[in-house]
Amino acid sequence: MLKKLSIVSVLLAFSLLAAACGSDEESAPSTLKIGYAADFSDLGGFADMPASQAGEHFVALVNCAGGIDPEDGIDIDAVLATDLGNCEEVSGTTLEMTVENIAGDPEVTQRASQSLIDSGVSALLGPAFPDFGEPLLQVAAGEVPVLFVASTEPLLADASILAYLVAFDDTAQASAAAEFALDQGWSTAVTFSAPGPYFGYNPEVFTEVFTAGGGSVVADYNFVPIEDMDFSTQVNEMAAGGQAPDVVYSAMLSFQSAVLRGQLDSAGVATNYLVTDAFEATGGYFTDGVEGFYHTTHSFPSEGSRIKALADSYEATHGSPLENSSFGGLAVDAIAVVIDAFVRTNSTDPKVLGDAIGQADGVHGATGDLTYVGTSGIPDKPVYVHQVVGGAATLAATIG
Amino acid sequence: MTELLQQVVDGLGRGGIYALIALGIAVIFGVMHLVNFAHGELITVSAYTAYALFVAGWNWWLIAPAVVLTAGLTSVVIEFVAFRWVRGAPDFTMLMTSFGVHFLVQAAFVMYVSANFRQFPRPGWIFETWKVGGVSLEVFDLLVILFTLLTLGATYWVLHRTMFGMSLRAAAEDFDAARLMGIRSDRIIRGAFALSGLLAGVAAVFWLMRSGQAGPTAGLSPMLKGVLAALIGGLGSLSGAVLGGVVLGLAEVFLISYLPESLVGLTDGIVFLFIALLFVFRPQGLITVRRAERV
Repeated sequence: MLKKLSIVSVLLAFSLLAAACGSDEESAPSTLKIGYAADFSDLGGFADMPASQAGEHFVALVNCAGGIDPEDGIDIDAVLATDLGNCEEVSGTTLEMTVENIAGDPEVTQRASQSLIDSGVSALLGPAFPDFGEPLLQVAAGEVPVLFVASTEPLLADASILAYLVAFDDTAQASAAAEFALDQGWSTAVTFSAPGPYFGYNPEVFTEVFTAGGGSVVADYNFVPIEDMDFSTQVNEMAAGGQAPDVVYSAMLSFQSAVLRGQLDSAGVATNYLVTDAFEATGGYFTDGVEGFYHTTHSFPSEGSRIKALADSYEATHGSPLENSSFGGLAVDAIAVVIDAFVRTNSTDPKVLGDAIGQADGVHGATGDLTYVGTSGIPDKPVYVHQVVGGAATLAATIG
Repeated sequence: MTELLQQVVDGLGRGGIYALIALGIAVIFGVMHLVNFAHGELITVSAYTAYALFVAGWNWWLIAPAVVLTAGLTSVVIEFVAFRWVRGAPDFTMLMTSFGVHFLVQAAFVMYVSANFRQFPRPGWIFETWKVGGVSLEVFDLLVILFTLLTLGATYWVLHRTMFGMSLRAAAEDFDAARLMGIRSDRIIRGAFALSGLLAGVAAVFWLMRSGQAGPTAGLSPMLKGVLAALIGGLGSLSGAVLGGVVLGLAEVFLISYLPESLVGLTDGIVFLFIALLFVFRPQGLITVRRAERV
C-alpha cells in the first residue's frame, strides 16, 4: 500500500512539475491581428490610400520573412529587404491586417471600427482627420489602442485612453518651421491662415515660436483652404506695403501655394516660402512653380534609409511607386509599434498591448525611431525640412 | 482711389470666372428648371482630361479645345445616362439625380484613379501683370473678362439667331406646346446639355490654367460659386448669371479687403447672408426673368 502511495505521489509531483513548466513557457499566440479604419474618400484618401497599401505590403513582408519571432520580434531592416518571391515558412506569429473603408463618414467610421473590434483585432490604425478620429476613439472606448497613422492633430493623442499619434504633431511641426526660419536668419514673416485646426493652428504656433525667437510676423492673411485660386487681393496689399517679408509661412496645399507664389512674383514681392507637410501630401513635387520651396515632413528618402527601402520594395513588388512614401512609412511605423508591444507582453489582449505601447522606447520604424514612454501619446520624432531643388527633394535640415 | 480701383479690377477678374460657370448653369435651368449640381463634374472630368493630355505630351493650345469638347460631350453623356430617365419627374427628383451624378463621378475618380491630386503645368504667362497707373492688371483676369463677354455674346447669338436657339427658347417657355408644334424634345434637351457643357468647358479651361491640378473634388468649389452667381443674378437669365458672377467676385474681394482680419474667415458666411437678404427683397434675383425670356 505504502509502495503504491509512493508511486502515486511521485507521478503527481511530476505532473505538477510539468504543469508548472508549461505555464512558464506559454506558447505564443499564433496570430496578431491589426485593423485599419482607413479613409479612402476624397477627404483622407490622399493619406490612407498610400498608407494602407504600404501597410499591407509590410505585413506581407513580415510574414514572408517568417512572421514575428516571439522573443526577438522583427528585424525591420531584414524585413524591408525581404524578397516576396522567395518566402520562408512562417515559424513565429503570423501578422494579419484588415482594412475597412470609413468613406469619410463618422457613422461609417463607428460601424467599421466596431466590426474590426468584433473580429478580434488587438490594435486599430486610424485616419488622419479628427472628424473621423473622434468617432473611432468613442468606439475603441479606451479598451483598444488606436494609432493615428498620418494625423498631426495633437488633440487626438491621449495615452490615458490608449490613443497615439504615429507622426509628430502640428505643435512640433510649426515650432520646427519657426526654428528653421530663425536659423536661416529670417526676421520678418507673413502667414496665411484659415480658422481651424491644421490651417489655423500651424501658423498660430509658428507665430508664437518665431516671435519668441526674435522674429516678427508682420501680417496674417486669411485664405480658404483647397478652394482659393486667386490671392490677388492679399498680394496687392503686400505689394503696396513696399517691403517683402523674409518668408511666407502657411499650411496651404501645394497647388494653392504655387498660385500665391506666382502672383507674388508678378507683383515683385521676392521672398522665401515655407509650408507644412500638406505640400508633399498634395503632390508638391509634381507642381510647377514651387522651386526653392521649403516644407516640413516626416522622412527623407536618403540612400540606405528604411523609407527608401520601403519605397523600393513596394515598387519592385507592385510595379508602380507608392504615391506617398512618407505616409507609407508612417503606416509601417504604426505596425512596428504594435509588434514591439506584442513581443514585450507576449499578449494579443488589446488593453495589455495599449498599455505597453505607452511604454515603447526606441522602436525602429520606417521614418525613424518611436518613443512613447513619458509622452502624452505623441512620439518624440525629428521634423525633416526639405527644399525643392531642381524639382526634387533635398534635405535642408533635421530638427529635433 | 488707386486701392479701390485695384479692388474693382481684382473683383472683376475673380467674378469673370464665376460668371462663365454660372452661364452653363443658367442654360440648363432655363430649359429644365433644374439647378444642376452635377455641373461641377464637367470641370472634374475636364481636369482629368487635361492631366491625361499633358501626360501624353500635349500643350495648352491643344488641350484647351480638347477640354471644351470633352466637357460638352460629358454633359451629353450625363443627360443620356441620368437625366433622360427622370425627364418628366418632379423637379425634386431631377435635383436628387444631379446630386447622385455628382457623388457617383466623385467616387469613381477616388476609386479608379486616386484620391490624391494630379498636377500639370500652368501656362507660362498665367501670372503676368501689366501696371497701368498704379493698378496691377493680371493678363489672366483680362482674358477671363474678355472670354466671358465673348461667350455671353456667342450664347445669345446661338439662342436668338439659330433655329436650335429658337426651339430651345420655345421649349423653355412651354415644353409640351413646343413638342406639339413639332420641336423634337430629345434633340433640344440634348442640345441644351451640350451647350451647357461647352460653357462649362470654357470655364474649366480658365479654372484649370490657374489651379493646375486635377482631383476628385476639382469641380466642387467652382460649381458652388457658379450656382451662387446664377442665384444672385436670377436663375435662368444669361445676363443675370454674368452679373451675379461679377457681384459675387466683387463682394468677396471687398470683404477680404475691408473686414477686420479676425473676421475674414467669415467671408463665405457673410456672402450667403447677403444673398439671403437679397432674396428677402428680390426673390427673383438681381434680374427679373419673365418666363418667355428664359434662356
